Amino acid sequence: MLTDDRKEALQEIANIGMGQAGASIAQVLGEFVQLSIPRILIVPPAEVPTTLARTVEESTVSAVRQAFYSDMRGEALVIFGQHRCNDLADLIGYEADLDHAAEVELLLDLSNILVGACLGGIAEQLNLAIGFSAPSLMADAIPLSRLLQDNPVPWTAALLVEVDFSLEKRSFACNLVILMPEAEIERLMRAVDLFLESL
Amino acid sequence: MSELSPPPRLLDFVVDRLEVGIFAVDAEMKVVLWNHFMAMHSGHEPGRVIGRNLFECFPELPRVWLEKKIRNVFLLKNYAFTSWEQRPYLFHFQHNRPVTGGVDAIQQSCTFLPVKGAGDSVEHVCVSLYDFTDTAIFHGQLSHAIADLQREKAEQRRLIEKLEEAQNQLLQSEKLASIGQLAAGVAHEINNPVGFVNSNFGALERYVLDLFRVIDALDGPDGLAGAQAIRQQIDYAFLKEDIVALFKESKDGLDRVKRIVQDLRDFSRVDSVQAWQKANLQTCLDTTLNVATNEIKHRADVVKAYGQIPEVDCLPSQLNQVFLNLMVNAAQAMNQRGTLTLATGCEGDGVWVSISDTGSGIAPENLNRIFDPFFTTKPVGKGTGLGLSVSYNIIAKHNGRIEP
Amino acid sequence: MPLSVLVVDDSPIARKMLIRSLPANWDIEITQAGGGAEALAAYRSGKVDVMFLDLTMPEVDGYQVLETLQHEDMNCLVIVVSADIQAEAVERVKAMGAIAFIKKPVDAARVEAVLREYGVIV
Repeated sequence: MLTDDRKEALQEIANIGMGQAGASIAQVLGEFVQLSIPRILIVPPAEVPTTLARTVEESTVSAVRQAFYSDMRGEALVIFGQHRCNDLADLIGYEADLDHAAEVELLLDLSNILVGACLGGIAEQLNLAIGFSAPSLMADAIPLSRLLQDNPVPWTAALLVEVDFSLEKRSFACNLVILMPEAEIERLMRAVDLFLESL
Repeated sequence: MSELSPPPRLLDFVVDRLEVGIFAVDAEMKVVLWNHFMAMHSGHEPGRVIGRNLFECFPELPRVWLEKKIRNVFLLKNYAFTSWEQRPYLFHFQHNRPVTGGVDAIQQSCTFLPVKGAGDSVEHVCVSLYDFTDTAIFHGQLSHAIADLQREKAEQRRLIEKLEEAQNQLLQSEKLASIGQLAAGVAHEINNPVGFVNSNFGALERYVLDLFRVIDALDGPDGLAGAQAIRQQIDYAFLKEDIVALFKESKDGLDRVKRIVQDLRDFSRVDSVQAWQKANLQTCLDTTLNVATNEIKHRADVVKAYGQIPEVDCLPSQLNQVFLNLMVNAAQAMNQRGTLTLATGCEGDGVWVSISDTGSGIAPENLNRIFDPFFTTKPVGKGTGLGLSVSYNIIAKHNGRIEP
Repeated sequence: MPLSVLVVDDSPIARKMLIRSLPANWDIEITQAGGGAEALAAYRSGKVDVMFLDLTMPEVDGYQVLETLQHEDMNCLVIVVSADIQAEAVERVKAMGAIAFIKKPVDAARVEAVLREYGVIV
């Protein structure tokens, strides 16, 4: 399903989407964001946790899930390490120390910005319509190995697009993972083919 | 506007009257849209709000945070959300349950929608505010119920552990009780051979003394003749024969004692940790039969009808206990001499063991109670009422069935 | 004589996308490089007039290429083409000698405007 051409195209498209996400975060936070080169792979859902474990550095994670729909359908996960993003509270308009609800709200807000910018960018380049549901907290400080155990992915294949964001001056890093079921991956691949033909 | 668009008045009416709070602000945070829901719940009519700064109209809003949030929607051209779970009271709206009560204010989730103008830039941010009070209440109740369930589950787990512990103790004491019941019989079984071995030793002692007399006479005054006379006198021919017989009998007797002790040990397995192992059920039956022989031999003839059965994974000492219970019950059920039949065989991928007697049988009204703990038809002091109940549990633990 | 143009990007698709948006009647000879090291080798072999340079690349990235070019007295026009469109990234590369910053996905009109601004095409 993921030929070299498609993978390269998707990688470049994700790269651009991610650049937009990084710029959005930078605009919101007023800080320079470091971006990784996106990694793209298709894996059986059972292998998603081990694949994630290779790139997510921390063993205890919190995760936000946000569904996207319309021409592109799936779920995006934003995975935060233990320190999450409390260090960013003042940059996003919190005045006092964070209580738990505010901390979660901050995770949701940042995830929403990341997912919206990155996936919005991908959809735009592929000429696809996309909408977003409200994000929700999927895991609150649990071991990484349990992340998808508690929330199994009932699909035959999952498209993993992994990108890392980190800030130079603050302790903050997260991974964005896009999960799509097999049929949706096929739909996306057809759009990628059209994109390739247009070159 | 294209011909396919709905009539503008319909659109205005729907936006105004939808059971959802809808308002919009421009880049200066000035309110440009304020629907009926917002007016009704805030007590601020559109006329008092439109054209004014949102935060001046509602000083209680978290200004720094919310303004940043709305500005980000302008900047990023992307949706934003708030959820009743983290921020239920963005706007403090009185609840709409004046009668049933239970909540102080509407719990709300909001969606911030970027509204683009003619170009690509966002001109307005439209906020829709959803009343999630009912969901929040149900969620709260559900969370409580789940917490209760989890507490109960933990309590149940604790009880099950206690029950298992009690069950193990029961098993152990039932075993001790049945061994106690058997003790008299076993004592008799041992006493019998010990008795005749003892009397044999008396005879052997006398014989040895006689033989000494013969040998000693050789050195006496009459010499060989004297010895021959004594040999005649003690009936040497009989004595020679009897000594061999006495030795053989004594050896048999001691073997019997040895076997009984061995069986008893196999039966109670006090010398080893209980472990699942492969065992032949026929060996188990034979061991148990030997231990219980005193209970049985006066009441019944034993018939064995063993089939070909494979070894099975089991706890042999526990199965022995089951067999003992069944054999002793069977023997006790026969008021006059009868037949105790032990049979085994295979069925499907399982093996079966049947222990039957020719006794009085079980009264139909008691049939469904025989596995109940403390149910017994035996006279007071004769049975604990636990034998079959314990047997039932042992067989269940072996993934088996026990049936009358 | 045609100008020699070097397109540097680790993604062949990205190179293709860029080349497609270059002005149609521009008299050039295009070479491509799949990474920073390759780009520097091409530059040192001495025939690069205009370099389109990606920033996010494995191993030697765009920033490192710019740094090396600065040390070696850059004598070609470097136009950074990047998906990383943060304002600070733009400032950084300009401070490092890039004449312009073009964001991905590349817009042909923007490429032409930049080339016109620097007199590369008329």
